[in-house]
Amino acid sequence: MAGIEELSPAAGPVETRPPEGEIDEDEDEELDETILERLWGLTEMFPDTLRSAAEVTASGSVTVAKKLYSFSRAALWVGTTSFMILVLPVVFETERLQLEQQQLQQQRQILLGPNAGMSGGMPGLMPPAPVKM
Amino acid sequence: MGSVLALAGAGRQNWPFSSDTPHPQWDTPLPHWDTPPRWERRDGRLPNPGSFHALHHSCKDVFPQQIEGVKMIVNKTLSSFFKASHTFHLSAVSPSQYRFHVEHRQSDSHGKDTDSPVLIGEMDSSGSLNAHSLLHLSERIRAKAVFQTQQAQFMTWQFETEYRGNDFTAAVTMANPDVLRESVILVAHFLQSVCSGLVLGGELVYHRGRHEEGGILTLAGQYSGPNWVATLNAGKGGAHASYYHRANKQIQVGVEFEASTRTQETTASFGYQMELPEANMVFRGMVNSRCIIGGVLEKSLSPLPATLLMGAFVNHRGDKLQVGLGINVG
Repeated sequence: MAGIEELSPAAGPVETRPPEGEIDEDEDEELDETILERLWGLTEMFPDTLRSAAEVTASGSVTVAKKLYSFSRAALWVGTTSFMILVLPVVFETERLQLEQQQLQQQRQILLGPNAGMSGGMPGLMPPAPVKM
Repeated sequence: MGSVLALAGAGRQNWPFSSDTPHPQWDTPLPHWDTPPRWERRDGRLPNPGSFHALHHSCKDVFPQQIEGVKMIVNKTLSSFFKASHTFHLSAVSPSQYRFHVEHRQSDSHGKDTDSPVLIGEMDSSGSLNAHSLLHLSERIRAKAVFQTQQAQFMTWQFETEYRGNDFTAAVTMANPDVLRESVILVAHFLQSVCSGLVLGGELVYHRGRHEEGGILTLAGQYSGPNWVATLNAGKGGAHASYYHRANKQIQVGVEFEASTRTQETTASFGYQMELPEANMVFRGMVNSRCIIGGVLEKSLSPLPATLLMGAFVNHRGDKLQVGLGINVG
């Protein structure tokens, strides 16, 4: 049993123990901490109040962004459907009326000549010159 | 609100004759663009203020009626006195029904004070009856009786007497008098034209049952301008304020505010009506504080004596929709 203890690297004198720069222990150290955790560890240099204020601000802005997104979704839906129901029929009807009137105007123009474009327009012909006897 | 019809659970929607206002001969006409306004009609003397129920009508007429399902109304005029109409209503939320409505009313009226009584009856396919009879007892006194049944059971039997003076109106209504159960509801209305454009009045509702008794007083006031009307009803049962404005020949706008102490609810509504006679169309739209919006388009199919109604009501809060389609023929 004592032989096994002698064989383990920690049991022997200090020179036989692997140096600090050996890759095994360094690999073990690197495997224990990911790069994100190391970066997070860097933030520990800031004071506590700053860290807590930053955390509150960050979570608050995430919440606000989520609420704003869902509100804008709902508002867009409500606005579009309300516009469809309240305004669109009137718009359709007035457009149709305008187009019909335009069509009538065009037809009258084609039929009666270019001077009779508007309703109640001029007769178009100049009055005959007075006849002198 | 405090009126009998409100107590009986009926509002303007439950009015039996849904499409037209019931007594156009009795209620003074709305401030119109062309005719002179009603408060100036009598050359310095104050005009009659009309009936109490008609106070909010000019604003309520701007709002669209909630239509649901498919409805077809066929109107037939049998003679100058008789009109009959058949209504077929197919609905998704309530059982479909056929209604027969007959009216005996002098249509070519020589004046408002006609001698013949107005009898209106409406019968349902399920057997419910609605009957109104309006009598002119004299030039100023009018009497009205209303009976409403739900299949075989009488829901409302109501008798009203109204006196129209030169510048005031007084009416007494007795609703559901029941000798066996010792219950009655008495309503008294009074309206007085105070000065040009201002009408003040009140309503007193007294109800009595076997074990309880109570009265509610409501004060009412209406002030009219050249193209607007503002009305307020306030009492223990709540408040109801409405404002009607006629912007031009085509656009009318109404704002209404209702608060009730019985149901602890307040509602504000905004409605508008747009008329385009060249396009044969009337559009009414409404936005509510209960997140309900609605619009109804009435288009008259011009060479045919028919009107097409299309309407939709959306409740955004509960995400519910009611769509209606109607055709009125004749």
